Amino acid sequence: MKRLLIIIGKIIVKLLKLMHRNAGNLPGIVLWHLSRHKAVSMFTVECPIIAVTGTNGKTSVTNCIAQLFERSGRKIIINKEGNNLDTGICSMLLKYCDMSGKVKADCLILETDESHVPVVYSQLKLDTLVVLNFFRDQLDRNGEMETLIQKINGFCKTFEGNLILNGDDPNTARLGRANPGNKNVKYFHAEPYAFATKKIFEASEGRFCPFCGEPLEYEYYQYSHIGKFICKKCGFGDHEPYITAKDIDLEKPVFTADGHTYSPKLNSIYNVYNMTAVAAAAKLYNIDQKVTDSVINSYTVKNGRMENFMLSGNKATLNLAKNPVGANMTLRVMNEMQGEKELLFVLNDNIADGLDVSWIYDINFSIFERVTRVVTSGTRAYDIAVRIKTAGYDPSKIVVQPDLDKAVEELAGTEGRKFIIANYTAVQPTRSALKRYISKHGGNK
Amino acid sequence: MKTVKILHMYADMLDLYGDSGNMEVISFRCKKRGINCQIDKYSIDSEMPDFSAYDLIYIGGGADLEQQHISADLLKCRDGIVRAYKNGTFLFLICGGYQLMGKYYRDADGNDIKGLGLFEYFTVAPNSRRKRCIGNIVIEAKLTGKPVKVVGFENHGGQTQGVKAPFGKVLYGNGNCSKSEAEGYCEKNVIATYLHGPCLSKNPEISDYMIEYCINRGEKEHIALEPLDDTLEKECRQVMLDRLLKK
Repeated sequence: MKRLLIIIGKIIVKLLKLMHRNAGNLPGIVLWHLSRHKAVSMFTVECPIIAVTGTNGKTSVTNCIAQLFERSGRKIIINKEGNNLDTGICSMLLKYCDMSGKVKADCLILETDESHVPVVYSQLKLDTLVVLNFFRDQLDRNGEMETLIQKINGFCKTFEGNLILNGDDPNTARLGRANPGNKNVKYFHAEPYAFATKKIFEASEGRFCPFCGEPLEYEYYQYSHIGKFICKKCGFGDHEPYITAKDIDLEKPVFTADGHTYSPKLNSIYNVYNMTAVAAAAKLYNIDQKVTDSVINSYTVKNGRMENFMLSGNKATLNLAKNPVGANMTLRVMNEMQGEKELLFVLNDNIADGLDVSWIYDINFSIFERVTRVVTSGTRAYDIAVRIKTAGYDPSKIVVQPDLDKAVEELAGTEGRKFIIANYTAVQPTRSALKRYISKHGGNK
Repeated sequence: MKTVKILHMYADMLDLYGDSGNMEVISFRCKKRGINCQIDKYSIDSEMPDFSAYDLIYIGGGADLEQQHISADLLKCRDGIVRAYKNGTFLFLICGGYQLMGKYYRDADGNDIKGLGLFEYFTVAPNSRRKRCIGNIVIEAKLTGKPVKVVGFENHGGQTQGVKAPFGKVLYGNGNCSKSEAEGYCEKNVIATYLHGPCLSKNPEISDYMIEYCINRGEKEHIALEPLDDTLEKECRQVMLDRLLKK
């Protein structure tokens, strides 16, 4: 039966290839139905599996950990962004397995959607689970955040493998207590950076100790609810870090971890946390320090993550913001920059975005400085326009243009620095629209 | 100058789906008209306020866990809130705030969280946490006799039953229970609803109904509100109405 299913799956992959289509989720969906929702259990994987999950930064950290192994000369299998549900992982494994379902590699590194961790790894033996953070994201799909954490917590109760957790996020650090018998829990931590605050700055989760209900006390907040916290009543938060990022200077940018100095390409506190998680994985798997250096110091992102474009001689920076934390980070970067600028905000409400757009009211637009004009676009162009107006921004400076090409033309029609924020399904269409504009009107003057 | 005094309760805990945006909208619309808008906050550790000193009390929505945290504290405020409500203070309640003013909220595990019992209704969460009413919603409300279409987003497990006077008729979406006809609860000085979005962002008539109510408390002659330019808000709502109500 198992063999038959694998063959069916492989035939679908081949057929799609003949039709010049990318396999995507489809073969996995078919197998998922045929196997009565146990699609991933078809495969035999003998090498270690490392899974990366969390709200923000999964793709970056997965790619970096994959590079650690790849540059150490090992054969790895990694899933591409978007294929992080059980069906996507199944589709991907179908391509690499033999007819008996055996997957041959030295290591599997799998970005895994938060809600799919228990499903996938009750069927495949997991060596290490990396949990980056939990923020408000697509609440209508995931249900309430507590439900989501409970799901992963349930999985962790019997998990005995390595657990690499963000020790500065109470939502992830609590997973370290799920299985008191697990000796392989490792926390990563970061000392305060220049913009760390004593008070919370943005909407947040996890204000209370999940074990005794007391309000958590913070020594400092790095961003959102990420920071050094402690429960004065039960001591939650007093865990010993496995690795700590110190001497963080984002101007350069540099930071040290385990006495070693890194010079990453990206200058956000965000990235420091991601790279500290990568350094933790490197330490755990005894990766050569030279390899770790090369990975952390060279990692940069495209695909709409702080990606720069030139629009008729004007610099434009595009950043993906799937949730308030991401959007607030972009606004901070925008504000910390001198001079006047214009903003294009593209907001969609497709299923992958979460149909609920009320998260835009958790974006702190009142901090807007020297923003001379706002253009809005996407399927919810009006919602984001109303939101920015309600924050006190002059509505006569807001242009609503649901058509993306027209919105980009509108933005590029004036001189000056441009910023573009787009949510999940809006990012690729926005990149395409920017490229169309550049090919029509030119990038550099 | 007139001042609208608002008490925003548990703002730090019950703010799951941008509900604090409602306060931003009310404050924005007051400011545009030169009306003072004072928003005080009350949460678990705060000193007991004089509820009757407020024109409007606002409570948003939260996750089950947060709701459990605040319920005991809210019960301590019961007498004060009841007195204020009877004195004509407006109660604006979203989701969790709505549920907790009823008799009780029975969670998915069958545990009862006691409500204030201000109103007759009660809420029962389904056994499975997967069964939730989630999605865009359109209702028709009659606040001032004139029907107005209200657009929002609902996301609730709880099924609220025993509602005598709903806030509106469901035109699209679920309402108080899954696939029900009625949404929310309403009295002259109460609007209780499952609508997030936040609710007031693209439904200016509702904000104005409450602001008008507040500034007219204790006045002999009716004070009418100056109209505002709501072009963006109305277009925003129209886009959703066209999308959702089109056959």
